[in-house]
Amino acid sequence: MAEKVLSTRKRHRIAVAWAQDANTISAIDQSVKNGIADAIIIGQPEKISTVCHQNGINPGKFLIINSENERLAAETAIGMVLSGEADIVMKGLVSTDIFLKSVMDKNQGLMKPDAVLSYVAVIEIPEYHKLLFVTDTAVIPYPGLNQKVAMTAYAIEMAGKFGIVNPKIALIGASEKGSRHFQYSSDYAEIKKMGTAGKFGNCIIDGPLDLYLACDRKSVEIKGVSTPVAGDADILVFPSLESCNPFYKSLMLFGRGEMAGLLSGTLKPVVLMSRSESEISKYYCIALACLMA
Amino acid sequence: MVLKSLNDLRTIVAGGPVKKLVVAAAQDQHSMGAVVKAWKDKVIEPILVGDKDSILNISGENNYDITGVSIVHEPDIEMATQLAVKMVNNHQGDILMKGKVGTSTLLKCILNKEWGLRTGKLLSHFALFEVDTYPKVIAVTDVAMNISPNLQDKIAIINNSVGCLMKLGYQMPKVAVLGAVEMVNENMEATLDAALLSKMNQRDQIRNCIIDGPLAFDNAVSLESAKHKGIRSEVAGDTDLLLMPDIEVGNVLYKSLVFFAKARVAAVILGARVPIVLTSRSDSEQAKFDSILLSAAASR
Repeated sequence: MAEKVLSTRKRHRIAVAWAQDANTISAIDQSVKNGIADAIIIGQPEKISTVCHQNGINPGKFLIINSENERLAAETAIGMVLSGEADIVMKGLVSTDIFLKSVMDKNQGLMKPDAVLSYVAVIEIPEYHKLLFVTDTAVIPYPGLNQKVAMTAYAIEMAGKFGIVNPKIALIGASEKGSRHFQYSSDYAEIKKMGTAGKFGNCIIDGPLDLYLACDRKSVEIKGVSTPVAGDADILVFPSLESCNPFYKSLMLFGRGEMAGLLSGTLKPVVLMSRSESEISKYYCIALACLMA
Repeated sequence: MVLKSLNDLRTIVAGGPVKKLVVAAAQDQHSMGAVVKAWKDKVIEPILVGDKDSILNISGENNYDITGVSIVHEPDIEMATQLAVKMVNNHQGDILMKGKVGTSTLLKCILNKEWGLRTGKLLSHFALFEVDTYPKVIAVTDVAMNISPNLQDKIAIINNSVGCLMKLGYQMPKVAVLGAVEMVNENMEATLDAALLSKMNQRDQIRNCIIDGPLAFDNAVSLESAKHKGIRSEVAGDTDLLLMPDIEVGNVLYKSLVFFAKARVAAVILGARVPIVLTSRSDSEQAKFDSILLSAAASR
């Protein structure tokens, strides 16, 4: 993953909303150091300087713009991207609610017209033979059909940026059997039809599939289930945030995974990451935004 | 006591009498190897109920020496299952194990009102995972039995699991109720249940454990994550038992731990008169053996 996300050569300008914590500032600092980004930090200049000094970072390398509160900082950062002064927006210490409200604002927001806001993460796991694109790890609690369709398309788009053509997409369920117990069954049937009709371009879609049938070739043999994904999935679409969130976290914490993730459905890349991600994952998130910009 | 490894189960089992494991429709390629190994290792004493010829054929083909193992001949799968359940009901066995019988047939027999193994408790699935990225064994429930448990069901599932952990030597195990987020969110029922379960625990309505939730997966198992988020909790980062909101979440997590985190796993069905071993074809030989080991430890 490092290879791919860091292959971006152009320096991009990142506007960071309310970056007043060591966590965010260190991640930005690393991106600036590595030459993939220039950073504009929006917040309280004194606070920002203090945090920089405490962490041995020279605040002079950032353009700092004064802002009174987190909401205004988010609006300013988004405004800079809209006006072309920056290429990427990143959430600092702003609460996620406030930040997303600003992103989704009808007039001064950053959404593509009528787009679904979602999240795609790309994960590198030692035990898997390739990168895994996973959605939605962060935003939509219970996606309906339209949202699942959008999630699928976003993941395909991101995989494409990594050079993956004709990706294999597994629509994840508790078992490969359709069941009235599981509401996703009918949505998945629809999405498969759309896939066959070419709505998503070149790709292979199947589901519901359990995680083994999606990712473990041996299980496919043992179970004798016939699926074109056949344990070789590039993309996993989950039925809910409830299942996707612990899944990706189990990969990070127990499976030694590293991830990069981005909001989807926005006009320009928006970096939104959890404070508890590892340093390297945070850096990958910024690098991924540069790749997608 | 807290289990550091599934091997610790051996110590627990070694401390007591050898338990009798009754296998329903034992002519089963997929379970017999683990049963024979557990018998050789003195974890259990098997009673194989099923088609004697097939049982002998399978053991012959696989070079299992089962000389001295008691076999109860009943060629019909459903009848053999009934017989196995009835034997346990008559105290002739301490553990029941699924052989070549469908899960639904087995459950139907277990739940039979006259000669089944009902206790009035909900049946629930309980699994122990050992991963080298977590400092102790972590229990997860329910990843396989209850599709979408309501609050009452979740209380029953916790009680079943805590009861089992206590038999394994735990005192006041730490229970994390899993959510997609660690905040109570009125649109996410799992987080509301989690908050209620925590409060019921504080008020001694659910005993013998410390419950906190909702906790997201990261703050349940990583103290560092919990600190980042500013969560004050006795359970965060030190979870012994992780309660799943439903089977959809549990199934994915179970498979993620086994496949991506290379976890060693043992599982058992709780809530019946005796522990029930119900492994699937795709479980490894080791997982099947460890499940027998867990059920022997849990039947004390």
